[in-house]
Amino acid sequence: MVFIENIISIFSEHGIAFLKAAWMTIAITAISLLFAMVIGVIFAGFKISSSKILNRIADIYIGIIRGTPLIVQIMFLYYGLANIVNLDSFTAGALALGVHTGAYIAEIFRGAVQSIDRGQMEAARSLGMPYSLAMRRIIFPQAFKRAIPSLANQFIIGLKDSSLVAYIAVTDLYNTALSVQGENYMPFETYFVVGIYYLIIVLIFTWFANRIENRMDVSKPKEVRLA
Amino acid sequence: MIDVHNLSKSFGKLEVLKNIDVKVCEKEVVVLIGASGSGKSTLLRCLNFLEVAERGEIIIDSEKVDLEKTNLNKVREKVGMVFQHFNLFPHKTVLENIIEAPMFVRKETKETAYAKATALLKKVGLEDKANYYPEQLSGGQKQRVAIARALAMEPKVMLFDEPTSALDPELVGEVLQVMKDLAREGMTMVIVTHEMGFAKEVADRVIMLADGNIIEEGHPSEIFVHPKHERTQRFLNQVL
Repeated sequence: MVFIENIISIFSEHGIAFLKAAWMTIAITAISLLFAMVIGVIFAGFKISSSKILNRIADIYIGIIRGTPLIVQIMFLYYGLANIVNLDSFTAGALALGVHTGAYIAEIFRGAVQSIDRGQMEAARSLGMPYSLAMRRIIFPQAFKRAIPSLANQFIIGLKDSSLVAYIAVTDLYNTALSVQGENYMPFETYFVVGIYYLIIVLIFTWFANRIENRMDVSKPKEVRLA
Repeated sequence: MIDVHNLSKSFGKLEVLKNIDVKVCEKEVVVLIGASGSGKSTLLRCLNFLEVAERGEIIIDSEKVDLEKTNLNKVREKVGMVFQHFNLFPHKTVLENIIEAPMFVRKETKETAYAKATALLKKVGLEDKANYYPEQLSGGQKQRVAIARALAMEPKVMLFDEPTSALDPELVGEVLQVMKDLAREGMTMVIVTHEMGFAKEVADRVIMLADGNIIEEGHPSEIFVHPKHERTQRFLNQVL
């Protein structure tokens, strides 16, 4: 029962700090993922493009990001580039996470677009749709739906990876856990509590992702409201 | 309506079409037959530029198509196409499939596009399926929607690439019926098919291809009854 008491004491003493930290984790994750989506779409476009130069640029970017650890990228951006651009820790963290996750999202989008049957593009073009319109109206919506499970997975990885920004002094959940357990010498209980926070955020996110996927169900007739 | 001169097309080293000349008149129904690999599907796909031929000239609706200058999208609006595997848009309902191109390519108003789509669905006997997604339809129903979708662009010619080859035998009839109705209404049609009974009944002209050449053409009553070319005889013996 000591465990329960300790947990309660952590909540009563540091509850507010953890809530603020959870907000920080959510904020830096959300901003980085938004950024990553933009990068992902752009570089997926580069990879699909028929331009050899754009293909190459995308390959280099994805190669570097996938080939180096996230913590190295974060440290490089914050400390390594400090003499050139002086970013605050939140910006550097969000930027590093975004650039990192963006490479993976680019690959997810590229795979999803290329997995759409060739006949879809042919049918669209045969109806007189220009390439860009066919992409926008026919290919992307199907590709996006197909990408949702991998995308949700990548988002969850992004959320958990955001704990690494603790090393550049962002007061996120993990950083708060580090300082709390340094104070109370209760690593078991402290990391247990912070684990619960992460778990709850991930579960809520998963629930939303499932809802979005279900809304795109095509196995039942569409309910049409008569105007 | 369609005038093809000296059309040649290769995939790598394989010559699929060799100096093809074809003419399709207005309201004519032309059926392309031939063994698999004879080039009949490629020829059809060249007619709406899903495949681009290396050499030759294609005139559609008395306009010579120049790959550099002509807007192919405009040409494709005039040439409807129905595919073997339907290629309906799975994320859109039947109705949305049909109104998509009229609304976004021809810039029709929603009301016009809706009214036309509803009429077309009635024509192909699927007015009760408007709000279904393709996944919920049988193969025959999907193909009839695909025909309605192509017709919604009010094309001058309809191309059919083996429209019944992917269907269960009992569903072939409903699709052929829609095509017969279209032919009777005077639609210009070019059809690749293995349904010889249908060809006999509907075609004004049958063209036999082998190894990228047109080896014989004529009215179905001649070709099916007295094929001149030895390869046509062999082919017909195999499929009839």
